Amino acid sequence: MKQHIREFIFNELIFVAEPEKFSDNDDLLEAGLDSMGIMRLIMHIEEQFSVTLPDSEIDPDNVKSFNALEQWILQHKA
Amino acid sequence: MNIVIPFFQQCNQTPDKTAFVEEEHTISYIDLKTGIEKIAAFLRIKQVRNQCIAIALDRGIEAASSIYAVLSAGAIYLPLDIKNPVTRINFIIADAQPAFIIGIGDAPDWLDNPAIWLDLSQLPLTEIKGIFPVLVDKNDLAAILYTSGSTGNPKGVALSHQALMNFSSWAQTTFKLNQLERIASLAPFHFDLSIFDLFSSLASGATVYFLPARLSLSPSRLTAWLSEYKITTWYTVPSLLSFIALKGALQTTDLSHLKRLLFAGEVFPCPHLIKLADLLPDTELFNLYGPTETNVCCYWQVEHQRLTVEQNIPIGYAACDADLLIDTESGELLVNSLNNFSGYWQQGKLQPLSTNYYPTGDKVALNTQGEYEYYGRLDRMLKCSGYRVEPAEIEQCINQLATIVSCAVVGIKDLTSGQRPVAAVVLTGDATLSNTIKPLRQQLAPYMQPCKFIVLDTLPRLANGKTNYQAIQRLFES
Repeated sequence: MKQHIREFIFNELIFVAEPEKFSDNDDLLEAGLDSMGIMRLIMHIEEQFSVTLPDSEIDPDNVKSFNALEQWILQHKA
Repeated sequence: MNIVIPFFQQCNQTPDKTAFVEEEHTISYIDLKTGIEKIAAFLRIKQVRNQCIAIALDRGIEAASSIYAVLSAGAIYLPLDIKNPVTRINFIIADAQPAFIIGIGDAPDWLDNPAIWLDLSQLPLTEIKGIFPVLVDKNDLAAILYTSGSTGNPKGVALSHQALMNFSSWAQTTFKLNQLERIASLAPFHFDLSIFDLFSSLASGATVYFLPARLSLSPSRLTAWLSEYKITTWYTVPSLLSFIALKGALQTTDLSHLKRLLFAGEVFPCPHLIKLADLLPDTELFNLYGPTETNVCCYWQVEHQRLTVEQNIPIGYAACDADLLIDTESGELLVNSLNNFSGYWQQGKLQPLSTNYYPTGDKVALNTQGEYEYYGRLDRMLKCSGYRVEPAEIEQCINQLATIVSCAVVGIKDLTSGQRPVAAVVLTGDATLSNTIKPLRQQLAPYMQPCKFIVLDTLPRLANGKTNYQAIQRLFES
């Protein structure tokens, strides 16, 4: 799952020079993930992993890194 | 005249009313006036009349007070985007040549000449003599807003007191603003949307609530904030309204106080606009249109029953008494309005204009109802999350990288943020893409970062030798 999200973010939302050096804890918001990117990301995740991420939990803390994203998604995956 | 006079008049009528709210901090009209006069008195001793003064502060009470003080002293405000890369800030300072830069704390490292830094927290006590605001000529400059330039460098759009006043009064009348309004402010002050938040608001006796920037990443907290403060009016960009329409928990948030939403800066994707209009049936929605050089010159009140998924909404009718013409050959919209800028500010002075009609670079046509419809750009300019982006400015940055032979930047359509820049590059010898473009992160503002790169052996050319941007566009879209 993390790998899939990685590919989506780096191919579609932000560009980083060396994705392989971008760790699972590195700050995605500092790397340029903005509100529009977050919206596309959430819509993609919901469709791809058949999960519903509650609007009330969309927050910098839950989307700031790959680890944070994974944890957030797993909480809502049945 | 002076754009700040209506605020000073409001101070006499409603001195104790709240002017600004920023997090836990609130300030009344009369206290705001006292703070403004203190800064203005100091500036007046420095003889800053008609000089440019930069503001290196984030959107909020201190930045707004500084702007009002600069104007009250008869000087010109230039809001810096302090989140910009240092190279861009330094370019703007070198080009604008401000007499002072207002900030808080010690002079920042990026500033070459710390002598012009003015620390608000260390302002010497100055006896407030004379009456503020000073009176200026209507053509005297009030603001310089730097925007992306097609020559590859940012350029300063210089706006007169008359230009700001004409827009501010039009907005007050058109949206029937009064003392009961609670206006949300999110647009940074270097963005022309903020002219509404700064001037139309206080001229009406309204209260301005500075929306915490972090909420733009949490749509449901943002709408909860709008509800908590009973916001009545908000002028923002479509991409953010799309975000709250889709993810802002609008079904369960009480926004019954929200009388109107104004939006500008990019085309609103219709499916999202329909969703927003469905969820907020009692809120009036207004599409405002116009480049920074003319501010709002067209507007359209959204008619819910006319919205369809396939068709973009019109930009509507002339606003601010603008005189609009369509160039019969190119379809370009030409605008003559009291809102119009006075010229570009370059190398510390105004470069006056030769014509009254500003060519927008936008292709428009009248529809059968007599409304203007927008059909895209005649040049290469992009709109990314409401920001205007000139591909030439990105290309100039990329071309300065060590192992680049040539490059071309185009825009690709994005479902949510309108357009995004992408770049095709030709590299020297055995250079790798990742090493080549590493420095870009420090040189380009986030909304200017290309989101995709492709490496080519040569850039496709047209028969006349010019870069074939359409071919590059197709490479990205295939």
